[in-house]
Amino acid sequence: MGERAAIRRRRATLAVLVVASLGLLTVFFGDSAPSGLTAVQRGVQVVLSPIESGASRALKPFRDVVGWAGAVVTAKGENERLADEVTSLRGQLARIQTTGREVEELRALASLPRRAGYPDGVRTVTSRVIGRSPTVWYSKVQIDRGSKDGVALDQPVITGAGLLGKVTQVTGGSAVVTLITDDSSSVSATVMPGGSGGVVKPEVGRPNDLLLDFIDRGDRIRRGSMVVTAGTTSSRLESLFPRGIPIGRVRRVDSDEVELYQRVHIEPFADLRKSDMVQVLTSPPEADTAEVSIR
Amino acid sequence: MIPTAGAVGRVAGLVVVVTVLQVAGLSSLRVFGATPDLVPLVVGALALFAGSVPSALTGFSIGLLIDLLLGQSVGASALVLTLVGYAAGRYRDVRDPAHGLVPIPYAAAVTAGYWVGLAAVSFLLDRPSISPFVLREMLVTVLLNAALALPVFALVRRVLRPSLREDPLERQRRRRGPRETGPLGLRGLEV
Repeated sequence: MGERAAIRRRRATLAVLVVASLGLLTVFFGDSAPSGLTAVQRGVQVVLSPIESGASRALKPFRDVVGWAGAVVTAKGENERLADEVTSLRGQLARIQTTGREVEELRALASLPRRAGYPDGVRTVTSRVIGRSPTVWYSKVQIDRGSKDGVALDQPVITGAGLLGKVTQVTGGSAVVTLITDDSSSVSATVMPGGSGGVVKPEVGRPNDLLLDFIDRGDRIRRGSMVVTAGTTSSRLESLFPRGIPIGRVRRVDSDEVELYQRVHIEPFADLRKSDMVQVLTSPPEADTAEVSIR
Repeated sequence: MIPTAGAVGRVAGLVVVVTVLQVAGLSSLRVFGATPDLVPLVVGALALFAGSVPSALTGFSIGLLIDLLLGQSVGASALVLTLVGYAAGRYRDVRDPAHGLVPIPYAAAVTAGYWVGLAAVSFLLDRPSISPFVLREMLVTVLLNAALALPVFALVRRVLRPSLREDPLERQRRRRGPRETGPLGLRGLEV
């Protein structure tokens, strides 16, 4: 009997609560609702808002600690994601920069024949550097064009900036270029605009420097003057390097009273260690001859 | 639960404290993209320790207070929490769970029921879109509440203890028989 009453009480309580909830909902969504319930809502909010405010302030340190812990976990995951992204972007950037440099070099190569003094009628083969020594003292590079492309021994090789060297080995699809910094190299050259002539050789112990030797002591060489290939006019020996290819700029002049000649230090135009795109001059200019060249 | 004035006062205090704590403190706390919800935990704890009627009444009170405080559809949370509290209390009445870890599945089930009920009521009233984001948040909240179950249930139990007719967890301790003592060869023997 008592248990049945308890069950009835229990069910009645539930029914009352459900009906009350549904009634509140009905009133809230009813047309005439807002007045009464809204006032109650406002009243509850007015009464409890100071408590809420105090609780919110009191719980702020706790929230901060939990928020900090969550932020650390999130930041860790984000850090890994960003690290992957950085790696990927770095690869993209490297590719873009490499392409950009190649474009610049090709543009420079294309503009080189338009320079004043550049030999006319020279045919070229554009090539990519595919191998080079990893050390500072290297003096040879490998290019991806060979005899099949018209490349032959002793042909001059230039970059967009100036003279690079000459072809010393050729296979069907590749060639080896000996740079002008190689100790076997010597190039007849002229200092512009004065026209003083000499021979450009590498400076011993400084592979990236060139030395213009055999300049008469009386000739006045200015710092910053441009040095270009001389070509020369002798009919006995044909020049390997046509006249007018830029070699470098005068960095300083050593004038020793004992010596017969001045020693002119040249900074090469071509970046001998970093050039990626080069051109091989596969045919000599028309009606140009030479007397000195490379051994 | 014995319905004394003290018990009603304690439960009323619990209702206000939990509601304010949830609304003012925990609601702005984001853990793994979700918020721990004390409300279903407390209703579940009341259901476990006090039974279906007290938990339904508490659920109704907390729900109504939340609805009024937050200016949302008055009666919606009250309805859901009433039903969830009653159902959880009835489960306790019928099944009589007494294991020490029972608060964990209890909290998870009550929280899930609360979320599903709220989603259903909201869908009926306001027709919101139920997105995978909501489902994910619900799942994380259920897990968070399951993690918080033991301390919260222990706290509610401590508050209710003076008014409880019987404590299920205490009953479970009593069920384990007393340890036998005495000489090794005589343990378990009727002497």
